[in-house]
Amino acid sequence: MRQYAFFLGCIAPNRYPGIEAAAIKTSRNVGIELLPLNGASCCPAPGAFGSIDLKIWYAMAARNVVLAEQMGMDIALICNGCYKSIYEVNEKLKHNDDLRDGVNEVLAEIDMEFKGSIDVWHLAELYYDPEIVGVKKLAESVTHPLTGARIAVHYGCHLMKPKKERHFGDTEHPMWIEELVAALGAEPVQYRNKMLCCGAGGGVRGFDLTHALDITNEKLINLQEAGADALTEVCPFCQLQYDRGQIEIEEKFGVTYGLPVLHYNELLGLAQGMSPDELALDLHAVSVDPFLKKIL
Amino acid sequence: MAKTKYNDPKLEEKLRDRKYYITDSNPEFLKDVERIGRTIAHMCFQCGTCTGSCPSAPRSSYRIRLFMRKAVMGLEDEALTDPDLWLCTTCYSCTDRCPRDIAPTDVIMAMRNLAARRDIIPRNFLKTTQLIYQTGHGVPNNDVNRAARRKLGLTEEPPTTHMYPEYIKGIRKIMDHYGLKERADRILAEGE
Repeated sequence: MRQYAFFLGCIAPNRYPGIEAAAIKTSRNVGIELLPLNGASCCPAPGAFGSIDLKIWYAMAARNVVLAEQMGMDIALICNGCYKSIYEVNEKLKHNDDLRDGVNEVLAEIDMEFKGSIDVWHLAELYYDPEIVGVKKLAESVTHPLTGARIAVHYGCHLMKPKKERHFGDTEHPMWIEELVAALGAEPVQYRNKMLCCGAGGGVRGFDLTHALDITNEKLINLQEAGADALTEVCPFCQLQYDRGQIEIEEKFGVTYGLPVLHYNELLGLAQGMSPDELALDLHAVSVDPFLKKIL
Repeated sequence: MAKTKYNDPKLEEKLRDRKYYITDSNPEFLKDVERIGRTIAHMCFQCGTCTGSCPSAPRSSYRIRLFMRKAVMGLEDEALTDPDLWLCTTCYSCTDRCPRDIAPTDVIMAMRNLAARRDIIPRNFLKTTQLIYQTGHGVPNNDVNRAARRKLGLTEEPPTTHMYPEYIKGIRKIMDHYGLKERADRILAEGE
């Protein structure tokens, strides 16, 4: 078993706890043990904090990294927004003395020091990495294949972009999460403008909800055109925007899509035989039932 | 060889202003943006790939290319007071596609930081920071969620600052170091 400090963030544990439960259970089945990162906080929200003062964002994110350094473990996480804060700040502080010194000056006030001794990973990239899990081993963990389900992928922005500060390669037409979906027995679906943002990031969801929803609506039009049974992503904030957003779009624009939205770990949970109750799928704003009928 | 001159003192004086005669241009603005955003904004040649890649552009008057120009021209007041500044979703599509290897997204982030120094910050940003100051989370737990967590066999509170509130003290110290809580309270109170 490989062990990681499990950074939860906010939206998964506090709005979609099924993602947290699924991540812990499903990872164990492929040789990854996720241990609690006690005392972690919000990453903090890169839009809100970064926009006000990047220095505060560095320091707050560094505090979370240091908690994992104290455990002597790499961080694994399940949210693109958290990845932006935790991964990016960890890398920036490792490679820029001026930033690190500034952050450590502040952290000294709470008896902490950023050492740069750990790495930060998104759980999805650990699943894809053949040296950690790999698509083959992931497929072997499937007991209830999602046969017949047509599933579209929303990559989100902050996992892979900006590409020169990441290691995922192509950000125009990536296919690696589709491979993870195919490993579950489902059929990945392509759709127009796949890499378009969900609309929620950068504080825009809070600043101008209608504007954010208009972007989401464009995505939903393209998804509907492709005939997807469900949308999967690896970011609870994108999930919130698509899931609750569909209700808000119904109210504001009078359009109904009824497209179930599931985090990849929720899909993996279903494919490994977890029940909808074990995943708290009833907390989703858009009913997941049509999708469940298709696969169960 | 003598340097060619216009022989017009007024025109000579104007031309010494490298910012195309715009009198409220602040050359320090570009330097500030580049320092905070850690990107080479002055390399922008206005191709417009950024605006063409932008999810916010087709549905608003927000034009990232315009903000890039304003950075280069030092139009600080115009840039920082424009509410379009807050319509960037930080998707980084412009950054990935910029042929000059600039990060326009980080130019926007730098401008937002500079606007924030003038107390120009939308309320939702400040409210998020207040929630984190209080609970450690931007999106805190609630009763419906606690019940759901219990059913799932998870602890009612996640093992974050929710389960270990003693860690909130450190978070508050960091935010207080920058005076963020006090500032957020003051700006939010002004708008009540």
